[in-house]
Amino acid sequence: MAEIVGGLLVPHDPIMFVAPDGPEKSIAEKVWGAYEVCAQKIVDMDASTVIIIGNDHYMLFGTTCLPKYCIATGYVEGPLDQLPGLKKVPVNNHEELARFIASEGSQAGFDWAEARSFTTDHSFSIPYTLIVQRAEEISGRTIKAIPVYLASAVDPYIGKERSRQLGVQIREAVNRFDSDDKVAVIGSGGISHWVGTKDSGQINPDFDKRIIELCCSMDYEQLVAYTDEQVLEEAGNGAMEIRNFICAMAAVNAESGSLIEYQPVPEWVTGLGFIEL
Amino acid sequence: MKRDVLERILWSLSVDRFSKEKFKENAEKYLSRFPLDQADVDMILNFDVKKMQEVGVNPMLTMGYWIEMSPDKDMATYNQKLGSLSGLSASIKG
Repeated sequence: MAEIVGGLLVPHDPIMFVAPDGPEKSIAEKVWGAYEVCAQKIVDMDASTVIIIGNDHYMLFGTTCLPKYCIATGYVEGPLDQLPGLKKVPVNNHEELARFIASEGSQAGFDWAEARSFTTDHSFSIPYTLIVQRAEEISGRTIKAIPVYLASAVDPYIGKERSRQLGVQIREAVNRFDSDDKVAVIGSGGISHWVGTKDSGQINPDFDKRIIELCCSMDYEQLVAYTDEQVLEEAGNGAMEIRNFICAMAAVNAESGSLIEYQPVPEWVTGLGFIEL
Repeated sequence: MKRDVLERILWSLSVDRFSKEKFKENAEKYLSRFPLDQADVDMILNFDVKKMQEVGVNPMLTMGYWIEMSPDKDMATYNQKLGSLSGLSASIKG
């Protein structure tokens, strides 16, 4: 049977690509270097497939149809929002496993929105490019990837507890999938960041460090206990993406996590945390 | 709900080429097919992103609308309109 072999929590900050020289060089190098560390960890896990849990930013679903959670089960390309160094490419989706997760979900009370064709945005494509494709380069092996999108930026948001439950369902489906796939799960999101608001550029390192501690100690209860009002007040609308972390953590079900890197970078408007699960 | 109409318009003007062209040709005519009062129309025509956010429009959409359709597309001006002194922005287009 397939198995989940590990996971990562990483940011997906597009400003890194349009303003790479924004922060001090030493800080920028630490952040770019953290992605390289993550790529090596995917190699070390011997992962054959990576599930990346991200979220739309109004580009993909607009306001006309808003899935609480969506999985791409067919042709995938992206990102829609191309950036310097981040060009639209086909994604080697593990369609069979994605369909199995959705099918198993329907038997277990999780009615996935399924995308039989899908264009990603940067929340998938940044970790896909900097971690998955880089891991392919390092290892010389093909690594497939499955996009999962949660409603973490556009309301109505998925509940944090539901995000946790969804991660458990992903894990259980992977464990029942008849293959020798080794699956890693990446939760893609920034910690504190304010997007498009008057507070854009602020960062709350205290909040970020609390979230990192809770992620490293696998304290779901405390993470889920944060109300949306608290998150918005203390860490901005972008921090709603901690749902992506919660889902990935539940999918991996590690005993603990370890911090790879944390940098609060105002020039990139985000508290950027990298955690191995 | 007004917020939903505004978000539909801003989303269309951020991603839909046809809507962008029609808006640029004649913005008032484009907006006339939506259930908006004059204050709403003025808010859109004046790129009053602060008021939009005050009525509940998601900041990601006000930013997208600004980047795609505003005359100068300058995020410093966007921040000023919001009452922010920050020179930093989450715009993916700089």
